[in-house]
Amino acid sequence: VSRWRKIIIFLSIMGPGIITANIDNDASGITTYSVAGARFGYSLLWILIPTTIALVVIQEMVARMGAVTGKGLSDLIRENYGIRSTFFMMAALFTANFGTTVAEFAGWAASMQILGFSKYLMVPLGALFIWILVIKGSYRSVERILLFACLLYFGYVLSGFMAKPDWKEVFYRTFVPQMKWNSEFVLLSIAIIGTTITPWMQFYLQSSIAEKGIKKEEYKVSRLDVFVGCGITDIIAFFIIVTCATTLFPHGVKIHEASEAAMALRPLAGNYAFLIFAVSLANAALLGAIIVPLATSYYICEAMGWERGVNKTFKEAPQFMGIYTFMIVIAALLILIPGAPLVFLMVMSSVLNGLLLPFVLLYALSLVNNKKIMGDYVNPRAYNVISWGTVGVLSLLAIFFVITLLLPMGVGYG
Amino acid sequence: MPFFTELFVSEIMKMPVLDPKGDELGRVKDLIIVKGEPLPKVSALIIEKKRDIFKLLWSDLNIFNKRIISANVYVDALQPYELNEKDLLLVRDILDKQIVDANGAKVVRVNDVKLQGFNSNAVLIAVDVGMRGILRRLGVERGGEDIMRIFKKHMSYNLISWNYIQPLEPKLTKISLTVPRQMVSELHPADIAEIISQISHKEGAIFFKDLDIDVAAEALSELKPETQVDIISGMETEKAADIIEMMPPDEAADILSDLPADKAKEILESIEKEDAEDIQELLSHEEDTAGGLMTNEFIAYPPEATVRRAIEAFKKDAEEVETVYYIYITDDNERLAGVVSLRDLLLADLDAKLSDIMETKLKTIFPDADEMEVSEIISKYNLVALPVVDTEDRLLGIVTIDDIMDRILPPAAKRKRRKV
Repeated sequence: VSRWRKIIIFLSIMGPGIITANIDNDASGITTYSVAGARFGYSLLWILIPTTIALVVIQEMVARMGAVTGKGLSDLIRENYGIRSTFFMMAALFTANFGTTVAEFAGWAASMQILGFSKYLMVPLGALFIWILVIKGSYRSVERILLFACLLYFGYVLSGFMAKPDWKEVFYRTFVPQMKWNSEFVLLSIAIIGTTITPWMQFYLQSSIAEKGIKKEEYKVSRLDVFVGCGITDIIAFFIIVTCATTLFPHGVKIHEASEAAMALRPLAGNYAFLIFAVSLANAALLGAIIVPLATSYYICEAMGWERGVNKTFKEAPQFMGIYTFMIVIAALLILIPGAPLVFLMVMSSVLNGLLLPFVLLYALSLVNNKKIMGDYVNPRAYNVISWGTVGVLSLLAIFFVITLLLPMGVGYG
Repeated sequence: MPFFTELFVSEIMKMPVLDPKGDELGRVKDLIIVKGEPLPKVSALIIEKKRDIFKLLWSDLNIFNKRIISANVYVDALQPYELNEKDLLLVRDILDKQIVDANGAKVVRVNDVKLQGFNSNAVLIAVDVGMRGILRRLGVERGGEDIMRIFKKHMSYNLISWNYIQPLEPKLTKISLTVPRQMVSELHPADIAEIISQISHKEGAIFFKDLDIDVAAEALSELKPETQVDIISGMETEKAADIIEMMPPDEAADILSDLPADKAKEILESIEKEDAEDIQELLSHEEDTAGGLMTNEFIAYPPEATVRRAIEAFKKDAEEVETVYYIYITDDNERLAGVVSLRDLLLADLDAKLSDIMETKLKTIFPDADEMEVSEIISKYNLVALPVVDTEDRLLGIVTIDDIMDRILPPAAKRKRRKV
């Protein structure tokens, strides 16, 4: 085995973790980080550290399951908990992810509008592009586009440096937790965690690892991939918050959306910052709009035992193609219909995601501790304490998040 | 022993089992399945009452249908049962799992299982892999039918006879029949590769082990490199060597070059010397060059041979060689002198010499040429194969059009299953 081959093997295993991590920073993630930075400056930065830890703990378990069993999470849930649980979980996941898809298209429409394009032109074009990419495109072209799209996220790092923040203050706020006991602050900190750790990501990561055929012997490399990915997710989040905190917060600019952040940056941080924010948002939204519907149709078909795959035709895999097409077409239409209940849909989707997360995590945790499935790769006892702790805290926060969303508190986020 | 016609397992789940007085013994939790002729059969029910689990033998039942299940024994005759891995349980081990439908050549999921009465036994007659099965499990099969009726459509049954099922779990293989194994071996190797690419790597390796060697060899070359390596390295060296030996040397070399060095060496040592030499020679070239793509199986005759002799020899040689459409003409030093197409050979006068009818202006390429260059030449001159020669014009091998096609347009199973 030559050194080149070793590097190639390494690179071939790297990927699922990093791609998953990047897609995690989708339109709603970017919105949350921008709002957090603009509203509270650097004081929410420290939340990113516990978030990263929780993310690492959860993703590591899910990735391990993928490598050891070679199966997706929805496969394992179906095989071990029967069709009833699976069906309801998939129904909830479908609804939640549909809401997420709507949010992605909304992000795409908003970013196109601030860049000076009509949404009535760009939303149908974007939808058509995504649809054709998967229906007609080959796997290679999809993968290349995705990898290139992941690179664009580094625009945020650039804009963070361009904003010339007070680094001493930034690091102090990152490592010294600070709590403000007002409802908006608490809600935003939970929202940051909630938008970073989502149910569909767990399904996505485990499947990508299983599909890649990564084996338990190669798992060490895969774990590194997951760690790096989690790191990248939160570094991007960090720079988004820093940019908005440095430029928007001191001027008291109130924003509700990522596109507003981009607009507000133009007079304060210049055209480049505006362009980076607008283009990155467009990129993130489009990326999310490809992956979320695609991943959703995959898990559902996997769990239900329906024919699936991008290289299949409508006739061979009607359910797969049907779900995928439905999500894209209806989400794009909703964005174009004036007065469609967009906000309601996105809040609904957050609520469902929040409700779903504890279940997904509990299933994942009990599966990863099942000796019959995981063999010697079950959680070590000490690790279990950490995982149960994380899952418990996340579940409580998710439920709390859902309650606040359902209460008519009129907080400026939703 | 009860007589019954047919039912779906989901219809009796959690159903009360009554004793002769009509008292509840417990509720159906699972069914123990044993090997039977011609089909696997139910040997006992597992019933649950307030967390206690009992085993109720099939022979102790007197009514068994979807409305009522009753036994001819009382509660004191029940044997306590402990869940174990030795028994094959229908709900735990078959329901919701993936299986291979050998008839349709695809992987499906078991939504429900249909039992049928046969010689006073309940045998596994079919698995339900359709929408009906899902709805029945959710308890809304009727509702589904009603909705479909509104659209004036009939909801079709999607049952696969147990005869056509190839299980993926090693445990299930014990009760499976030999028919599906034969059927799977009769599938097109590309279909087998597609099936393997849809299941987990562990299941894939088990599935692969059951294939006949020649089918295995063909299916293996349709798989993507990582899967090939997985499967071969998980096999005993002897069997792996048998399979590799069956493959064309260029494809064998590709797989061996992806294996860990010591495993590759072990396999090479178990292969017949002649074949091993061919493979070893190919291994010395980079994978994406003409040398890496070529095969050293080709047909070559001396220029002074007559057409009659060439045709006779061809009948014998063509059996073992993959690409037979060109007959190369080489001199005593293996130098390439010309080529005769199979058509020209068959149409030529039987007493003519090969040197009289051969085409001498032929396209050749050096082994270190890039694969793109190779494909350009093959495409430009509409060739089926392109000879690879060294600097002294000695014929080393040929690159065939299908090898080039595989590089440019990999077959479906070689592409990754997940598209993102």
